[in-house]
Amino acid sequence: MRVRKLIYLLWATAVFLAACGGSGKMEVTNAWGRTSPAAAANGAFYMTITNNTGQDDKLLSASAAACATVELHEMYMRENDVMGMRQVPDGYIPLPKGQTVELKVGGLHVMCINKQQEFMIGDTIPLTLQFEKAGTMEVTAEIRDSAEMPANMPGMQHGGG
Amino acid sequence: MKQLLPLFAFLLLLLAACQSEPKYYGTLWPNPQEVADFTLTGTAGPVSLSDYAGKVVLLYFGYTFCPDVCPGTLADLGYVVRELGRDADKVQVLMITVDPERDTPEQLAEYMSHFHPSFVGLSGTEAEIAAIAAEYGVFYQRHEGTAATGYLVDHTARVFVIDQQGKYWLSFPFGMMREQMKADLQNVLRRG
Repeated sequence: MRVRKLIYLLWATAVFLAACGGSGKMEVTNAWGRTSPAAAANGAFYMTITNNTGQDDKLLSASAAACATVELHEMYMRENDVMGMRQVPDGYIPLPKGQTVELKVGGLHVMCINKQQEFMIGDTIPLTLQFEKAGTMEVTAEIRDSAEMPANMPGMQHGGG
Repeated sequence: MKQLLPLFAFLLLLLAACQSEPKYYGTLWPNPQEVADFTLTGTAGPVSLSDYAGKVVLLYFGYTFCPDVCPGTLADLGYVVRELGRDADKVQVLMITVDPERDTPEQLAEYMSHFHPSFVGLSGTEAEIAAIAAEYGVFYQRHEGTAATGYLVDHTARVFVIDQQGKYWLSFPFGMMREQMKADLQNVLRRG
């Protein structure tokens, strides 16, 4: 009888801890980069980051041996499908708890500046991600020739016929 | 005579149906027009749009420093051209740099051939490029980047389709699906 009570207690504690989010993780999936010639000075990496840690966090920076410098950048659209790129405000990507942030074509990306090598399809590029609270994480970006294409961007004309 | 009217109307409709364009996924330009020739610089010297007369030309304005939108678009065009099979040599992709200060013809050639061996990159003087961009309504503007990137260039991210008659009436917006571009190009090629 006593043992059973103890088990209940342990179980309740576990549930409580899980609810706190203490056992959750920062999850990074689908890390990839686009094939790019040696003549291209820069490249981009994309990934999906889900913050299950139970607390707000930030992706502060990233590094890779394949890149002289790595910065976090975002694309923006101006009037009339003019696209531009800039470093994200304050240099970091906010990762609110419980949310998934997608780094994708036409949006946020990890920018590989002064690429040290050609990126060929099938190559795997190791990246180190630095989170403010979750610490560092090693991920591997697979080089592909395409994203799953992004959904057509809003506000654009289509099918003029 | 009155009884013949419905028949007449029906025949007119039929005729209209024969002549109607297939559906295009890209953006149709309301006033199809013959485009002006231009001459820029490739690795082997001057390259003119008229060098590709009789081909469908896919004209893009970009730069090799661009890590996201340009390689994305060019990779898509490479895929589409390969998918055209026997018709691939009826299509020519040209990228005009919006960054002639950093993009040399040699660098452009190496960059473009990565996406498809037939792709051509063109450079020129600021004035030459600005004049061509204006004709297509292409906007580009430099702005400061970071210490590592140097300046960056905002630019129109659209692919202009010039048909085999040298007319422009269709363009592909950024983010258009590969299969849609392929279908549109097949329809353009069918027109001749």
